[in-house]
Amino acid sequence: MTRLSEIRRCFEGAIASVVATCSPDGKPNVVNLSQVYFVDDQHVALSFQFFGKTRQNILANPHAVVLLIDPKTGAYWRLHMRYLRTDASGAVFERMKAQLAGIASHTGMQDVFKLQGADIYRVNEIEPVVGDPLPEPPVKANPLGSVRVCGERLSNCSSLEEAFNCALQILAGDLDFKHAMILMLDHATQRLYVVASSGYSSSGVGSEIEVGQGVIGVSVRENTPIRIGHMTNASSYSQAIRTTINPAAIGTDDMTEIPYPGLASPHSQLAVPIASGGLVLGALFVESQYPLRFGFEEEDAIVAIAAHLGSLARWMDAGSDSRDAHLPAAAVQATSGAPLSVRHFSANDSVFVDQKYLIKGVAGAIIWKLLNEYSAGRNEFSNRELRLDPGIGLPYLDDNLETRLILLRRRLEDFGPDLRIEKLGRGRFRLSVTRPISLLEAATA
Amino acid sequence: MGALSNVSPTVVDMMRRCVEVHVSSCNERLVPSLMRAMAIRVDQAADSVTVYLAKRQADQLLHDIHNCGQLAVIVCEPITWRSVQIKASSVTMRVASETDRAVLEDYRVALEREIARVRGPVPVVRAILAYQLSDIVLVEFEPDEIFEQSPGANAGKLMAIRQ
Repeated sequence: MTRLSEIRRCFEGAIASVVATCSPDGKPNVVNLSQVYFVDDQHVALSFQFFGKTRQNILANPHAVVLLIDPKTGAYWRLHMRYLRTDASGAVFERMKAQLAGIASHTGMQDVFKLQGADIYRVNEIEPVVGDPLPEPPVKANPLGSVRVCGERLSNCSSLEEAFNCALQILAGDLDFKHAMILMLDHATQRLYVVASSGYSSSGVGSEIEVGQGVIGVSVRENTPIRIGHMTNASSYSQAIRTTINPAAIGTDDMTEIPYPGLASPHSQLAVPIASGGLVLGALFVESQYPLRFGFEEEDAIVAIAAHLGSLARWMDAGSDSRDAHLPAAAVQATSGAPLSVRHFSANDSVFVDQKYLIKGVAGAIIWKLLNEYSAGRNEFSNRELRLDPGIGLPYLDDNLETRLILLRRRLEDFGPDLRIEKLGRGRFRLSVTRPISLLEAATA
Repeated sequence: MGALSNVSPTVVDMMRRCVEVHVSSCNERLVPSLMRAMAIRVDQAADSVTVYLAKRQADQLLHDIHNCGQLAVIVCEPITWRSVQIKASSVTMRVASETDRAVLEDYRVALEREIARVRGPVPVVRAILAYQLSDIVLVEFEPDEIFEQSPGANAGKLMAIRQ
């Protein structure tokens, strides 16, 4: 007998499913579903968002039938099932909620597209429906080998930046995931910032998204992976609901100063939280222009790699200090050319160089401090002195300093040739400046 | 006057465009049956809708329709998810003949093109819609009720009823 786990492709949401129910007076009812959720080999879940006829029927008569289609072969399956209960909490509910919220967020519907419950059904029979399906596609290579290679290489990394590069190389190479990014979480502002990416026309390092915004933001908020196999299908379903909602109830997207690097029209997306010790530190995100690019096995692989990154990020950040807080002053090299005009706005620690936005927040406070010290004759610094400086505003726990320095270093590289942060050793780095600098503290932006 | 005559022309137009069609009924123990239709024909002048079902895939459904006379049909435009549900309580059935082939083929070609735009490669769509003419059963009915069924808060709202 076929098990539900053997037909998991049908639960990807690539081809819409349909559910039929029947009222106590014998009237059938049939509606479309954006997705049927696999729970385990005996159970599936359907989303409860509106109190419609289907819901009225199953509360009075628990029999239901779902028609599924395998998106790779076109084979039909009928699930004969019985409604058991509605969960408004728990792992299944939370995961469905996160997935729906991620989809809804794409159409600005995150505040109105709410899951009320997960209707849990016991599947009594999985009926293969006769037809003319295509042959099974060739079996894909198991990603476990790539995960092993990634784990071994990450274990040999001596810095967090090297670990980020290593993970992105494995994703693009061994796993053939061409578009990926790593984002870290600023707990104070509840925003995620891109620290590394691969496969995009611009790195997008420093671009930010809010926790709860899009697939990545919802994945971090709910601390659960979100995988969408068919963005067109999922988004158009959400869009259909949007047309029935008062436009005033729908918020607008926030703007970020640095353009977000994501694909314009992705068809598959997978966001996985990077966490350690129960604390979410960021997210690992992959996407593709092709539908159904990421299956269950690929999700397992990304979760395993994200777990490695989480452990490394926490450990390397904690061990990133040199012994000496203040390093002796080193000779600042001579500079030439027109002065770089650097302006700092204390309200949000945003920094502009020659009128162009560079960075803000903690990373902005750091570069402002470094430039001021540089003007006073120093160009070598330690992580420890940054941690001890109350003006920078690092939290006393889980400050993510190492990732903030990676962000700043990469942002400077993207920005232009005149400012660089060069790593000198454990917990030490140098600010390199090629032109004279002119610093201006501005009161308001 | 039938429900189809009481519904707006835009709804009838939508039902005649490239739409996915699923049909449901139930048995005497109130267990539902369900299958995708291989084509649909809407004749507003005659107040009649015909759905084309493959017997090999819809045997239980056809039995249930025959026994109880009740059926529900959901018609959905794949790109927009715009949907209506039609309910009927009296049907006639007949086996397809050569004259029905044109409807099935036109529907298959149009829907292949439409679904492929949003949901995937043409070969898969072709497999989903594969049929043999000798296996097709036509179920013709006059709608009793037509409901708005697009996803959202208005789903289930009555649009037209037979008077």
